[in-house]
Amino acid sequence: MVATALPRSDRSADLSADLSVLARFLAGASGASRVDIAALDLLSGGAIQLNFGLDAEFSGGSLAGHQRLVLRTDAATGIASSLGRIAEFAVLQAVHAAGVTVPEPLLACADPSVLGKPFFVMRRVAGTAQGRHITSDPALEPALPAIAARLGHELARIQKVHPPRPDLGYLPSIDAARHIVSFRAYLDRHPNPRPVLEWAIRWLETHLPASLPPVLCHRDFRTGNYMLDGAALTGILDWEFAGWGDPDEDIGWFCCKGWRFARLDREAGGIAARAPFYEAYERAADRRLDQGRVHFWEVLANLRWAVIALQQSDRYLVGGARDLVTAIIGRRATECELELLMLLDPDGPPAEFCRHA
Amino acid sequence: MRDLPSGAALLALGRDLIDELLPLVPPERHRELRLVATAMAIAEREAIAGDTPVRDILDRLAEFYRDSDDALLRRLAADLRGGAFDACEMRGRAARAILWRMTMMKLREGNPHFLAQNGFG
Repeated sequence: MVATALPRSDRSADLSADLSVLARFLAGASGASRVDIAALDLLSGGAIQLNFGLDAEFSGGSLAGHQRLVLRTDAATGIASSLGRIAEFAVLQAVHAAGVTVPEPLLACADPSVLGKPFFVMRRVAGTAQGRHITSDPALEPALPAIAARLGHELARIQKVHPPRPDLGYLPSIDAARHIVSFRAYLDRHPNPRPVLEWAIRWLETHLPASLPPVLCHRDFRTGNYMLDGAALTGILDWEFAGWGDPDEDIGWFCCKGWRFARLDREAGGIAARAPFYEAYERAADRRLDQGRVHFWEVLANLRWAVIALQQSDRYLVGGARDLVTAIIGRRATECELELLMLLDPDGPPAEFCRHA
Repeated sequence: MRDLPSGAALLALGRDLIDELLPLVPPERHRELRLVATAMAIAEREAIAGDTPVRDILDRLAEFYRDSDDALLRRLAADLRGGAFDACEMRGRAARAILWRMTMMKLREGNPHFLAQNGFG
């Protein structure tokens, strides 16, 4: 889920299956008489999943003609909280049907005899998702407030999906209290004490807001996980952490400092002030945001990102990964800790730590 | 005792070399090479700082608890989890001062740019 380059061990990973097996599956699933695969290339982005650009010619069937697609499957190592690919495909179908801007989900395969692991295929959308580029490209500047507003609108649309949904009955339901339990369970297993995280978790525990009816949460709704083709939103990506939860959870995650990339000062995803994002969301969701609740979920977002960063590094520390990207990411947890102190300490930093405007 | 140049100095020279090599490397690998330079810079700053910053935190913990147990950081974490200082403003403030100091110490070595971005010189 984290916007990092692929670890070396995964960059060299390939789909070992005979491509003719894949082609036969694609033909059978789409009703084509034949599929010719022209290219299957590993795309950048996604440390936990592998995305392959798949160019293929379909002879007949529901995808007749030349198709530019993405095949998404599991990397060699993952983290426990992500959905499987078939479950992620079902979420993608649900939000696509709800009118959310996502790559159209096309085919899924749970049969390990095809590629050795489950995968799904979706349309390839144009553009870039790179957060640093999006937050620093001068050509995009004039359009960024409108993009923030569009994302607020999209988020409200995602939240139109809510339980009960028998087709999505497998999705985890995670409220704030359950997040707190999981954070502490992780810290209990972590070899080094993290007192800042403990202090912030205690704050969460003593400031739990009244619950709201659960909705579909993307749980990684942020800059870096949507595609822009110029200033046009072409797709919200990476649904592997989706589940039921609080409607303010994705708001807090989107505004979390860890996802502002080159522009920490622009609090809505590094692309705009909060106002255009909030206002568009409120209009589309027909719900006023409560600043106290958003603050709570932003604190929780920082904690969650810190724990995820530490979990990623665990893949090096105890999981056998040997690449620098994985090893170093745990250091980002300390950035979250600074932000937690800035968000929560009523006294601010000790006087000796001079802070400039 | 150790030979010169120091390990920290060699790391700095290595980073300079990476800057020179960067244009010769395909653009799609630039991010990884920059990450190598970042890792070297962290190692360099930690080597220069030595044990002093860590010792400073441990001294403050010992003063806070009036104890010299080896596991004071773990004790602080457990106390914060349990809300041990919630009822005493002065103790809570003193505990938070240690949290700030520890976080600043880590970021000065690990990511001083992030500190600067947040207004801390």
